[in-house]
Parts: sequence; structure tokens; C-alpha cells
Amino acid sequence: MSQGLDRASSPEGENTIEAVAKVVAFEHGLAVLEPEPTGSCNGCMSAALCGTKTGNTSRLLAKRFTLADSAGLKIGDRVVVGLGGGSLMRASLTAYAIPLLTMLVTMVTIDQMGGGETRTMVGAFAGLAVGIGIARLSASYLAKKGDLSPRLIRRAYGPGPGESCHTDLG
Amino acid sequence: MHDLLLLIVGAALVNNVVLARFLGLCSFMGVTTKQETAVGMSLATTFVITVSCMGDWAVEQYLLEPYGVGYLRTVTFILVIAAAVQFTELTVRKVSPSLFKTLGIYLPLITTNCAVLGLALLLVEGKMSFINATLFGFASALGYSLVMVIFAGLRERIALATVPRLFAGPPVGFITASLLALAFMGFSGMATN
Repeated sequence: MSQGLDRASSPEGENTIEAVAKVVAFEHGLAVLEPEPTGSCNGCMSAALCGTKTGNTSRLLAKRFTLADSAGLKIGDRVVVGLGGGSLMRASLTAYAIPLLTMLVTMVTIDQMGGGETRTMVGAFAGLAVGIGIARLSASYLAKKGDLSPRLIRRAYGPGPGESCHTDLG
Repeated sequence: MHDLLLLIVGAALVNNVVLARFLGLCSFMGVTTKQETAVGMSLATTFVITVSCMGDWAVEQYLLEPYGVGYLRTVTFILVIAAAVQFTELTVRKVSPSLFKTLGIYLPLITTNCAVLGLALLLVEGKMSFINATLFGFASALGYSLVMVIFAGLRERIALATVPRLFAGPPVGFITASLLALAFMGFSGMATN
């Protein structure tokens, strides 16, 4: 989703990270979008000729996401979707900072209690596991609030990557 | 405790991984055009560096040193780093698919960050204990994150400033980085580790 990052200000004044995506399907009434590749080679239809396309496609499949406010969209539409800059920061903190902090606190506490190297190592991994559990709970709370969901900003106009490329060798 | 604090300050500020050791310069210049992306990349790198330092320490202590195969260190550490990145990717994907979709882009980039390998080799050179090695990795990554965020903030301001045409873009970025490195030299003398 964060591919092809561009930034703008939303009406609420929050910085929004924008990306262009294409509607590829509809599931349960929600549009399924695929972010557009931005690399100079991968973004071109002729990438198939230089052998870079297959790997990139599988990576894009993993990055497909749904959009809640998809009224009026149809398959093939290109849209600009946005994610608040604060959301990216909250997501990063949840995924990485919580497990790291619990791990370090557990490790230093055991070490200061004179636990020895083996116990410190076991404590560190236990702290990491606990942190991952807390991060999971926190992430599900953020997802329920809708903090991690991209929203539709506007329709994108102009040709998409590859649509203006020369695909024949002649 | 005093020693641990000294180690953290030394690794994060005095011997900063970017501005004093000149490691991780690719992501330093490449991902610092926007503050949000810099924060995302910094946190992901911090996690991977800390986990891989723990893994590298264990591999060195229980495999490379006892069997006298230190010449395989670089190759083995690269393998450990790649495993740490995969572990992080799997963890984030399991913890929250939404988080993975938001943050997943940064993870493959970390495997090729030379700061991760450089720090692992430095902790072996320093013959550190497990806790020291982990805190050294964490503090160095914290220093990396600090510099990334400061530099991203500066570049955002520079992007709005009027810069002579020949200096626009990366040249003024490098000049700013050199001034930042000079500022960080002020920390030398605070700690020696």
C-alpha cells in the first residue's frame, strides 16, 4: 500500500501518504485494489520481456487490499488512496516498539537480578513472545478502529504504468 | 547498570552508526525524503538489528568459535540477518495482516542494509556478553533511527527552501549530512565505548 508514496494534506490537516491503486476485483461488495508498481522497469509492460514481471506480480498479489468506500467504482478504475501519516507511525510503533521494549525490559531485569547468561537469553525470548502477543491485541484494536485502512481520496486520471509503453519488439 | 547506560550512550550518540561509522548510508539518503517513511524504516531496522545481534551472538558463541570456523563469519551472519528479516516479516504478517500491508515494503530493504552486518561484526570484535551485545545492537539502531528522523525533518524543510540549481536534490542533502556529522562530533568525549 505504501508503494509509490506521495504526500498531501487531508482536509483535517493531517499529512496523508498517497498511492495509486487499480481496482482488480470485487469481494463481498468491497473493491479489491492492487497498488501500482512504480519502479522504472517493473512499471512497464515490457518488463515481461526482461523477465522481471513474474516476481513482481506475485509480490503485488500479496499487497492487495480492500477499500470500504468503494461506491461507484468498477474493475479497471485507477484511484488515489491515502493513509494518514499518523497511522503509519502508530502501526510501526505497534509492530516493532512493543515487542522490543518488553524484550529489553525483561532481559535487563533478569540480568540485574543476577540471572546469568542462559536465563537472560531465555528471559529475552519470553519477553519477545509476550510483546508480540501485546502487539497482536493492539493491532486488532487499531484495525477495528479503522486506523490501518486506506481511504479513497480521488480518482486517478491518465494512463497507468505500461499503458503507454511499447510492448512489441518491432 | 552504569556500564549499560554508558554502552547505550556510546553506541547511540558517540559512535553513531551513520555519522561516525558511515554504515547504512544507502537507506540514510534513500528513505529520508519523508518523515513518516523514515520512521517506519527506522523502527523496522531497529527491530531487525536487535534480533539479528542476538542471533549473531549466539551463532558466534555456540558455533563459530567452538568449532574454529571463524572464516565463515560473514556468510553465516548474512544468513542470520536474512532469517531475522524473514522472522520479522512472518511475525508482522501473523500479528496483523493490515500492519503487514502497511509496513511490509520496508522489510526486504533491510536485508541489504550494511549497518546490520557491520554491527554484528563489531559486536564480535568487542567480545561482548549477551546482554551487552543486545543492548549494543539496540542502542546503535536507536542512534540510526535518531539520525534518520532528524535528517528527514531537515530534508523536508530544505525541499521548501530556495536552493541554487546546482545544489538542488542530493548535493544539498550531502552538505546537510556533513553538518549533522559535525554536530554529532560534539558527543565525542562523553563516553568511549
